[in-house]
Amino acid sequence: QVSVLYFARSAELAGLRSETLSVPREITSLQLWEEIVKVHPRLAVIQDQVVFAVRQEYVLIGDQLLVLQPGDEVAIIPPISGG
Amino acid sequence: MDECEDVPKDFIKLKSEKLSVDEVSELVISPYCGAVSVFIGTTRNNFEGKKVIHLEYEAYTSMAETEIKKICRDVRQKWPSVKHIAVHHRLGVVPITEASVIIAVSSPHRAESLEAVTYCINTLKASVPIWKKEIYKDEYSWKENKECFWANSEK
Repeated sequence: QVSVLYFARSAELAGLRSETLSVPREITSLQLWEEIVKVHPRLAVIQDQVVFAVRQEYVLIGDQLLVLQPGDEVAIIPPISGG
Repeated sequence: MDECEDVPKDFIKLKSEKLSVDEVSELVISPYCGAVSVFIGTTRNNFEGKKVIHLEYEAYTSMAETEIKKICRDVRQKWPSVKHIAVHHRLGVVPITEASVIIAVSSPHRAESLEAVTYCINTLKASVPIWKKEIYKDEYSWKENKECFWANSEK
C-alpha cells in the first residue's frame, strides 16, 4: 500500500490530492502509472508530460523497476514551474 | 551580535506571506563577506497578450525543501567560498509585481555570489517541485518551465 500524491494539473484531472493505493511490491514505473490511470482515466492525457517522485526521487515513466515499501510516497509530477 | 562562529548556513523557506528582500538579504550578511547577491523573481502582468490577474503557486513541500537543500550543497561544492544561502519561495496567491522567489548568497568577493545566485535560480527552475498557475480573466494556465526536462515544449 503506497501513498499517491497528486499535484497541479494531475490533481485537477484526478479530482483529489492524495490517496492510498495497493500495488505489487515490485513493479515498473510504467505499470504503476497504468494502475493509477485505471483508477483515474482522465490522467491518461498527461502521460507524456509527467514523471513520478518515488520516496522523493524523480523516476521516469518506463521500464524502471521500483521496489516499494508499505507507506512509501509516490507523487505525480507534472512539468514544474517554480521560480 | 552574538559571538558564535559564523558557520555557513542555508535558509530555506516556503511560505504564503509576502516575501521581504530586507529579511532575506539580512539572513546572509556576514562580517567575513564583502558581497551579497540577490535575485528577485516577480510576477509579470501579461502572457501572450492575455492579462494576468494573479499567480497561484503550489508545492510538494517536503520534496521542494529537499531539492533546494541539494542545490545549496551543489553551490558550496562549486563555489567553496560561498558563506550563506537563503532561498524564500512564496506559495498560494501572489499578486502582480510581488515577489514569488528571493535568493540571496553571500561570499567574500562578488564573483562567487553572483555566479551562485544565477546557478540557484536556474537549477530551481529545472528541479524543484513547485507549480505556477497563471489566472487570466476567463481562464487559467499551468505554466511549464523550459528548464523542465519532462515538459513537452513542442506541443
